[in-house]
Amino acid sequence: MNRRTSLNRRTFLGMSAGAAAMGLAGTRPGFAQQFPSHTMNVVIPTGEGGGVDRAARAFTSVWQKHLGANFEFGYFPGASGQVGYEVYVGKREPDAHNLLFGNIGPEMIVYATQDTSYTYPDDYIYFAGIDVDDSAIWVAANSELQTIEDLVEAGKQRTINISTSRLPHPSSLGVLALGEATGADFRLIPYGGGSAARTAAITGEVEACATFLGSSLGLDDQIRFLTVFQNRNRLPNLTNDAPPVNEALGTQIPALSGTRAWAIHRAAAEEYPDRFEKLKETSRAAFEDPAYRQEVEQSKLIWEFAEYSDEEACAAEARATMELAERYKDVLSGNG
Amino acid sequence: MTADLLIDLFSMAIGYWWIILIGTTIGIIIGAIPGFGAHNTIIILLPLTLAVPIDQGLTFMVSLYVASHMGSGIPAILLNIPGTGGAAATTLDGYPMAQKGLGQQALVLSFLASTIGGFITAIIALFAIPYLAQIAFYLHSVEMVVVMLFGITLIAVIAAKDTLKGLIAGLIGLLIGGIGADHIYSNPRGTFGFLELYDGVPLVPALIGLFALSEAFVMIEQDLIVSKSGRAHMLKSRWSDTWEGIRMGVARLWHVCWTSLIGLGIGAIPGAGASIASFVAYQQSRTFSKTPDAYGKGHPEGVLAPEAANNGVSSGSLIPMLVIGVPGGSTAAVMMVVLNYHGVALGPRLFTEQPVLAYGVFVTMIVSYVLMIFTILPLTRYLSRITLVPTQFLAPSIICFTLIGAFIYRGYPFDMGLAIAFGVIGYIARKTGFHVVALLIGVILGPLLEENFLRALRLSGGDLGVFFSRPIANGLWLALLASLATPWILARYHKSRETAGGKP
Repeated sequence: MNRRTSLNRRTFLGMSAGAAAMGLAGTRPGFAQQFPSHTMNVVIPTGEGGGVDRAARAFTSVWQKHLGANFEFGYFPGASGQVGYEVYVGKREPDAHNLLFGNIGPEMIVYATQDTSYTYPDDYIYFAGIDVDDSAIWVAANSELQTIEDLVEAGKQRTINISTSRLPHPSSLGVLALGEATGADFRLIPYGGGSAARTAAITGEVEACATFLGSSLGLDDQIRFLTVFQNRNRLPNLTNDAPPVNEALGTQIPALSGTRAWAIHRAAAEEYPDRFEKLKETSRAAFEDPAYRQEVEQSKLIWEFAEYSDEEACAAEARATMELAERYKDVLSGNG
Repeated sequence: MTADLLIDLFSMAIGYWWIILIGTTIGIIIGAIPGFGAHNTIIILLPLTLAVPIDQGLTFMVSLYVASHMGSGIPAILLNIPGTGGAAATTLDGYPMAQKGLGQQALVLSFLASTIGGFITAIIALFAIPYLAQIAFYLHSVEMVVVMLFGITLIAVIAAKDTLKGLIAGLIGLLIGGIGADHIYSNPRGTFGFLELYDGVPLVPALIGLFALSEAFVMIEQDLIVSKSGRAHMLKSRWSDTWEGIRMGVARLWHVCWTSLIGLGIGAIPGAGASIASFVAYQQSRTFSKTPDAYGKGHPEGVLAPEAANNGVSSGSLIPMLVIGVPGGSTAAVMMVVLNYHGVALGPRLFTEQPVLAYGVFVTMIVSYVLMIFTILPLTRYLSRITLVPTQFLAPSIICFTLIGAFIYRGYPFDMGLAIAFGVIGYIARKTGFHVVALLIGVILGPLLEENFLRALRLSGGDLGVFFSRPIANGLWLALLASLATPWILARYHKSRETAGGKP
């Protein structure tokens, strides 16, 4: 898009704000001019200072210029994100000024496997995904398992312990699907957190670790990536060119990733379509703004993971994740 | 590491004395207020630490972190309120000393143990980092189960005074520790429908309720927290009391050294922390003491051991972050965010690519401890006067401050209610002679024991033999048995000697 590169940010901001105002004026002029009438409040279902927080801050620092409002964050960690969703759906006004920023993959698995008081997509919908982190399996650098084929072969001979942050996680689903597709015997060991899961694999308590790619890149040459659960490896240079699982083994395992995305009350999207439209338009504009890339790089996030998913793509990912989680629900909840 | 590098590192750290002074002052204050840990404070100050150069930001974070461990012992001794879980064991002997009017001496002991223990372990860490990092490679879930049992056996020690009540308190603590999602399948247990309990009972509200609020409720019933004789002693307190505390500490220097090493070793295990280290150190200190019966009544070694250990943890807990690139605790995790932000790649290469940063962490610790000892020791005389504040002012202040602390920890109003509920439990326990420390040990160590136990079983496919399948675990089992049997054997030995000596 030429406009992106030829216009400076201030001009672009003025034009997009004007365009948004004009466009919306045709439908519901009163509301369009007033939205946002005050600060946007964001529920973050994880702790302060983590990856989700940093991603949200990097994005809103650009989005606020396109939307014309400041953002305030509230952190509600606990129960693998469930607390944040309960707070958002149950205690936040559905007026489009209240948003949630979460991770579709892990949080939809929690939704599918736990009893929640909220329902998807009746209570909330995701409308803008801003990055995608793929699941991967890696081993310690000194492991005798050199490739994903080695891991599968070993899994056919004996039980292989693989660490994971928790069972309801896309990476865990990937391991279960891989075991089912190849007949290998993998035993998932949940460590209650990504750091502990990574430590266990590096220090040799388990033979491999299933996790998101992004969280393990900093481990450098201490580890060797075996595969990624995606159709392509986004970062071949940083992951010893680990092959996509289906390419290496000829399996049909669906892509398993985490998409950090913005969500809104469904009621707000339906009652205030103009506001919802403005949120979608400006979030996309923010994503395409070159300033966003600068923010991502300044925040030491990985630009290669940046990928915009619209409302439809987010919904498709949420549905696919839920379906897979339902398939393994008994195993994940200890009933299988 | 070369001598030139070492000189450069010390020059740099001393050059940043003003940052260390600010960091340690903030650390001591936030360590002393339950709920305001180093982890929370560093998060709040992220905009500052991200904005300044990495060496300055790291100096600030490290000095704040080490000082917070020292600060947490102050309210534990003076008010029976540990600032963090790591100082809970300090209350066992620190508070009885304060009640006797020896608060000044107890504070000096705490500061000496903290600084000397922290200083020694930081020096050891500086030179032995590659070896200490290996601890994480040998101590896994199986070994951790035995380490937890070292701490949990302290319940039995406490129960020795009133067996039934001690064991009941410990058991209730273990049951409360079982609240929350199970560690394998995340199925909620005993949460009463509260999502806020899904991840287990949060430590800070439990700590605040069991110690701070229950103590405040008890305080309301009396005029002063010190005894009459203690008050008279406190009113006459002078610098010589500080010297007396120093003499008591220096005479037990070896005790400080070996208990701080327990902290260093436990701290180097990812996921273990100051709470475990201080309970284990206290238990070990009592086991090998010539006067085990004096513990719990205001014994100096009962203050030195947990304080030396929880400061030894400071050095140990940063080792997994620096060497493996995986944080060993919550404070290290926040530090890692700052280091990553500045483009620092953690892991083995850090020591070859950025040795100034890697070794600088421990040099900053060493300089921080030296600066702290000179700034805080003179304050003991005045800090100990807190025990002379009438309870009509003290109790409401404690309730207000600590309830805020309970809220700040996670930002949930629910936690304030939880703290009050634990306050009522703690009050009833105190009034009926149940020991709140036994209860807290269960709350803190119970979930960790369960987590490691279940994980070890899962790793072995449900084979109980896994607990006796590794040489180090077997060695630890023997050490545990020895530490349990030693007091009994020593008691019988002394008794037989007395009997033999009594014969004509």
